[in-house]
Amino acid sequence: MATATIPLIGRVNMPTLRDPALLVPVIGAGILVYLAVLPLLMLFVGSFQAEVAPREFVYTLKNYKAAYASEYTYSTFMNSLIFASGSAALSFVLGTMLAWLTERTNTPLRSIFVPIAVVPLILPGVLESIAWIFLLSPKFGYLNVWLTSLFGLRSPPFNVFSLPGMIWVHSVGQVPLAFLLMVAAFKSMDPSLEESAMMSGANTWQTFRRVTFRLLMPTVASVMLILFVRTLESFETPALIGIPARIYVYTSEIYLAFNEYPPDYGRGGALAVGLLLLSAVGVWMYTRVTKEGKKFQTVTGKAFRPRQFDLGGWRWVGFGFLTFYFVFVVLLPFLVLFWASFLPFFATPSWDALNKLSLDNYRYLGGFRPFWDAMKNSIILSTLTATVAMVLTSLVAWIVYKSRLPGSWILDFLAFVPITIPGIVMGMSLILLYVAFPVPIYGTIWVLLIAYVTRYIPYGMRAASGSILQIHNELEEAASASGASWWETFKRVTLPLLRPGLVAGWIYICIVSFREFSTSVLLATGESRVLSILLFTMFEQGQVTVVAAIGVLMIATLLSIVAVFYKLTGKVGIQT
Amino acid sequence: MLRVKRKAFLTIAIFVAGVMLGATSTSAAGQSLDELYKLALKEGGTLNFYATLAQINAEKILPVFEKRFPGIKVNHVDATADKLAARAITEARGGRVISDIFQMALENVLQVIDQKLVVDWLPPEAAAYPANLKAANWMAADMVIITASWNTSLVKKEDEPKQFDDFADPKWKGKLIAEARDVELLIGLAKHKYKNDEKAFDFVRKLAANNIEFHKGHSELAEFLVAGQAAACVTCYAHHYPPRIKKGAPLGYMLTEGIATITANALAKDAPHPNTARLFYRWSASEEGQKAYAAGGRLPPHPKVEPVEKIRPATVYPIGTDEIKEWRKYEKIWKEILKLR
Repeated sequence: MATATIPLIGRVNMPTLRDPALLVPVIGAGILVYLAVLPLLMLFVGSFQAEVAPREFVYTLKNYKAAYASEYTYSTFMNSLIFASGSAALSFVLGTMLAWLTERTNTPLRSIFVPIAVVPLILPGVLESIAWIFLLSPKFGYLNVWLTSLFGLRSPPFNVFSLPGMIWVHSVGQVPLAFLLMVAAFKSMDPSLEESAMMSGANTWQTFRRVTFRLLMPTVASVMLILFVRTLESFETPALIGIPARIYVYTSEIYLAFNEYPPDYGRGGALAVGLLLLSAVGVWMYTRVTKEGKKFQTVTGKAFRPRQFDLGGWRWVGFGFLTFYFVFVVLLPFLVLFWASFLPFFATPSWDALNKLSLDNYRYLGGFRPFWDAMKNSIILSTLTATVAMVLTSLVAWIVYKSRLPGSWILDFLAFVPITIPGIVMGMSLILLYVAFPVPIYGTIWVLLIAYVTRYIPYGMRAASGSILQIHNELEEAASASGASWWETFKRVTLPLLRPGLVAGWIYICIVSFREFSTSVLLATGESRVLSILLFTMFEQGQVTVVAAIGVLMIATLLSIVAVFYKLTGKVGIQT
Repeated sequence: MLRVKRKAFLTIAIFVAGVMLGATSTSAAGQSLDELYKLALKEGGTLNFYATLAQINAEKILPVFEKRFPGIKVNHVDATADKLAARAITEARGGRVISDIFQMALENVLQVIDQKLVVDWLPPEAAAYPANLKAANWMAADMVIITASWNTSLVKKEDEPKQFDDFADPKWKGKLIAEARDVELLIGLAKHKYKNDEKAFDFVRKLAANNIEFHKGHSELAEFLVAGQAAACVTCYAHHYPPRIKKGAPLGYMLTEGIATITANALAKDAPHPNTARLFYRWSASEEGQKAYAAGGRLPPHPKVEPVEKIRPATVYPIGTDEIKEWRKYEKIWKEILKLR
């Protein structure tokens, strides 16, 4: 892969100890420690506590016993392992096929499929699961009903309420990530080795198998790892499909511990610590495999074009596959949600159902206060989170890459830590933190803001540090030489140059926090509803068609945000 | 002289304190709803209502309260009862009380009482209710009838169940759904219908043999039934059916016998809006409030208020305070037989 890392060419003049602006980066660092480290400490402490009377705790090891030596330990472990490895494998295979077909072959109309493959990112995980329940529920799922009548089957072919069902639903949501990572890999492959193989007489398949794939092995390992870890940490599919199916994984066990009577923080905490360790190991392995290449944004000077494989007649098969994927995997969930949103209660498409179509659900939402509260909260939270995260990470990135502060590498590490924290563990840790220090922000949107900002700092850092590394010091030095203080330089020279990267980071964080579910599920309360939780609660209570209507409106809002992004920056996509 | 004076002073002080205390409680009892309303408005005009009240009923009932007391908005925190209890407990641990009033299944209200999250207070309107529908710190808000229901497109008229026992028949195998937590079915049958534990356990074993599919949430069960996920529901809520049937859903439900469970009101301790909470509590316990509940599709426990919808079965097996006491025992057996967690 022809990439180059920019060496850090000298540092900008540090503010002196007399310059009060020094406080700004130091405060930024302090905030980072508070956000990234303190909750984990409380989690660890909380995992050793057991409640003996209402709000009275003692220290004990029995939580770990309950978590790891109970009758359910083995099944939880196996379910989590199968779910995570199955999803990683399936989304990898699908993502790679899509990436290969669109990037490295001459499949017709392949450029259209690039944005289409990324579209499922717009669909929040909760809605993805709900849509597939509508499609693959054993008795009334649309696909099952259709296939059963088409082929005269005796029993429905698919059951979404199973481990394979969970794997399918989760994989479908992860394919865009696998796709983007593999596209990046394919784009930056040096074709000379493949060309040599072809010139020595190897055919397309042999070249792919013995050269291309081998070159990709490190990337394959890293992509599979990240998919595995992300599945292990996810909660949408385990909540909506796993719990009704009574298939429990680590995240659902943590959630159940919290919803027992009385809520068992100790066992939940012990489970969370285990999950956190697994996640940390996975991420550590990932960074080792990618040799930290992802942490620093690198300038890629492309001195070559990756080779296109000529599939001959098979390219129409490729086209068929892409079309099938688009229609059945990407489009169908949207269509089914859209259809269901016009029904008074769930029904399969029929003339009878057509008569029942109406705007009732939308009219109902018009006057349904919890919906507007949740919409307001979600918009406020997502925009604030993105802003706070980007401001914070710009400061931290500046300290890490531009200042001469000793030990600034610690900040870089701290900023990266939250990526190992599963959302539900983050939610748990913050509850434990605010139980120990009863600062009354628990139950408000402010604790959600803290949770979201903490979770998305790594993404912000990636965007901010990528941009900062590309800014030459001469500009800042010139400002400094002309008499500007550190703060003036930062505000009037550095920040404007950072803007493209900051905007991209802002938009990405805004979108993912709008969709956020696993952190919110434990932290959101009646006063701090967000849309994804409203969807979940209302779906659990059986108001499925209203949920579909909320889903449609949620997607519309997200699409508007992306449209604004497209206008502002001219790019559609996510920085990886 | 001094000792006498001190004794006299103490006596007078105690007397005055007693009068004041009496005066306060008398004034609370004698306080009209409108006086309480004025106090409630001063609190900001919001009520945090932690209630399992189904949307389909809440959207008819809560506006009546809001219309009666303009300026007060009900913030209905809607979730299944176990989650509401868990949430209240977690919030208390976090040093924040958000709930003003709880209205959920009695067994879950007893959980929050156990956790010391409730005050001992009953509205004066409670005097009209029989003793088995109230205690020092809770009283019945409405009754919920657990009964059987079915999808009329999937169940022929002659197969419609006439009593719970019909579901023991193997012809129902693979066609049934139920709520995993409805231990009340077992308790009601054991204590009131069969008056024999073993007979009730045997019935549940036959149900288990029919491979019931369990889900959480009665509204969800109703929706599944409409969608044809199963032919019949063994433990569904009677009041869910009239509104759905009116909308054209192909549903039927049993009115020969049913288990009557209590949904109880309880006032949260250190509630952020205590007077608003009391106002709502008093209104919902009053004849006026109970009529709104009836019109909203619920079964009112008030002796003088009749339900509007046909949801009271001919024979009722009540789950009151005595039955609740043995909950844990029956829950254990229920979970064992049905292999539930």
